[in-house]
Amino acid sequence: MAHAIRDYALIGDGRTAALVARDGSIDWLCVPDLDSPSVFARMIDPDHGGHLALQLAGHRAASRRYVPNTNVLETTLETHDGVLRVTDALTLPGRTLAPGRELARRFECVSGRIDARWTLEPRFDYGRRPPRIRSWSSIAVADAGGDGLAVVVDGGDAIHASAGRLEGRIRLRQGERAMLAVTASHHEPLVLPAPRETEDRLDETISFWTRWAEARTYHGPWPESVMRSALALKLLVYAPSGAVAAAPTTSLPEELGGSRNWDYRFCWVRDSAFTLGALLSIGCGTEARAFFSWVMHASQITRPKLRVLYRLDGRESRREQMLPLAGYMGSTPVRIGNAAADQLQLDIYGGLMQTVWLYVQAGEPLDRDTARRVADIADHVATIWAEPDSGIWEVRSEPRQFTQSKLMCWIALDRALALVARGAIPGKNAAVWRRERDAIGEFVETHCWSAANRSYSRAAGSDELDASVLLGILFAYGGGDEDRLGSTVAAVRRRLASGPYVRRYSGDDGLSGREGAFLTCSFWLVDALARTGRPAEAETLMEELIALANDVGLYSEEIDAADDAFLGNFPQGLTHLALIGAAMSCAAARR
Amino acid sequence: MSVWGALAGGFAGTLVLTTVLRAGSELRLTRIDLPFLLGTALTEDRLRAKAAGYLLHFVFGLLFALVYYAIFSAIGRSGWWLGAVFGLVHGLFAGSALVNVLLPVVHPRMGSPETAAHATALLEPPGFMMRNYGIRTPLVSVLAHVLYGTIVGGFVALGS
Repeated sequence: MAHAIRDYALIGDGRTAALVARDGSIDWLCVPDLDSPSVFARMIDPDHGGHLALQLAGHRAASRRYVPNTNVLETTLETHDGVLRVTDALTLPGRTLAPGRELARRFECVSGRIDARWTLEPRFDYGRRPPRIRSWSSIAVADAGGDGLAVVVDGGDAIHASAGRLEGRIRLRQGERAMLAVTASHHEPLVLPAPRETEDRLDETISFWTRWAEARTYHGPWPESVMRSALALKLLVYAPSGAVAAAPTTSLPEELGGSRNWDYRFCWVRDSAFTLGALLSIGCGTEARAFFSWVMHASQITRPKLRVLYRLDGRESRREQMLPLAGYMGSTPVRIGNAAADQLQLDIYGGLMQTVWLYVQAGEPLDRDTARRVADIADHVATIWAEPDSGIWEVRSEPRQFTQSKLMCWIALDRALALVARGAIPGKNAAVWRRERDAIGEFVETHCWSAANRSYSRAAGSDELDASVLLGILFAYGGGDEDRLGSTVAAVRRRLASGPYVRRYSGDDGLSGREGAFLTCSFWLVDALARTGRPAEAETLMEELIALANDVGLYSEEIDAADDAFLGNFPQGLTHLALIGAAMSCAAARR
Repeated sequence: MSVWGALAGGFAGTLVLTTVLRAGSELRLTRIDLPFLLGTALTEDRLRAKAAGYLLHFVFGLLFALVYYAIFSAIGRSGWWLGAVFGLVHGLFAGSALVNVLLPVVHPRMGSPETAAHATALLEPPGFMMRNYGIRTPLVSVLAHVLYGTIVGGFVALGS
């Protein structure tokens, strides 16, 4: 039985990440990287996915928290006989010979005595490759193909290996400790860590996260939520390249039992402006530079065209496939890869140009090659903006003239002109960009305004609504008058929102079923309210949204308004980016 | 066989190799830029990095030509076709070990599979056969190295 998505917490090391349930079960882990095949995937297949689980005799209650200002999770499990504290982290390598990846799980008996049994079922390659398993006293090894996983226990009983499973028992009295380390390797020999070294790495990992959090520069409202969002985002930064994944999971459903299940372990160009803006605003200058460098480098081959999404290591996107897994609570298909990579989405050009603009505004220089490429992208936007596309929400119905796509094309050309004015990019085609920008504005104002709704519509000639047009406010669209933007905020709130729950759009999207409220849109609404002179409403809505986080401050992509169940991939980077942006705008509105 | 032939071949071969890689980039076949990768080991300034990288690349080109010359001398044979074979091996070695494994180890700004959250890479690692820089990168890189080897082998043979 899978846990509710809300019941999970994320740990990671900047290369991969794991999801830990409230009862201490680790149900999601891909190795060696965030977008590699899974070795634990019980979230999307309870029987065949693989996991590391805990069972405690006389278990009564569980509570948990992150060690303050870290990405290290502390779960406290109470039994009739005692209290066990479990500390989980994916450790960061130090100076000694470190495993390729290491999941450290420290057991501490806080009071009384505890009797814990652990079971580990490794299921390499999404369960497609059966593992070979051996054990020797306190060490066990499982492998399949080029992937290996070792378990080293200190302070517990001997490990027992059976068909496809490793098991062990840890019995502690008050004040005693034990350590369970799971290490992974990919195409190299496994490193079997000495328990003392794992302890040291765990302590150093806690120290690193604390130092990282202390270096952040946010001083506004909701500091705990902003810090947790920053820490969650840091776990989505794929450190080897600087790319930022949208989420660490695949196929957590947007509708329970439905087919809206997607792989989010990619970097979306759409999110780039939010990412760079958030990184800069919380004092992550180094990460911002690495991300910008990666985005510009990754998009080099297809220039001036952009792909909707890129793999974290910069390679071509893999083909979308369906896996024969049971799915989260029966939600199938389980997909890996993402077919949205091949869509035309015009809004990404606006996102990228806004990213460049933020980067230059932060005082970072563009080299000649990059400046030329940015100008080429502006030329490209000037020629393609009138085409129908799949839009920001990647609908799988026929391409349309989506309003938000046109707004973002306007923003792309407007930022290009601003970059020319700043001397950051060559401007020999600036007159064309200005002419086309104005033409886009005229198109939007003529065809994308719904007099019936007193709002910008979802698409040209339609009366449907779309919360993504709020980005016109967030990114300073200036092709119309401000009253229309303010009126659109009111219409979105009236027609798409119910309390803090905001639907993405009304109308068809080419998919069967329904979806939950989209949390990013809720935070965009806060942002838009704060920017349009309604700071009190913005703050009230923000408070309601902050209360919707799970017990450790994380958000998924969507939420069911009926019972606040999380839906979609988890945790969702865009939601946390939007939270940071909304908090920033509220802080600015207070000043 | 002449060491001067090897050096001349190394210079000409590196010129062609660099040109082919650059052309591959302009034709959008690959994102590889070896002088940039080498130069950014010395400086974060992109323009200076490229200038320093070209210099380093030519130095390495000459050093590899001397290695080719040593092997030609050891086996007592040389020629453009043998140089092409050396170039093929060189290209495969460059993609599988030299740039993929060794460069991230010594490059202070390049990520590697071991780079974790406590470090920030400014350059993405190349991956096996440098495929992270584009699926066609192995083809372009191996072709460029075969041309390099052919030229070095030819120049060495000319001097004999």
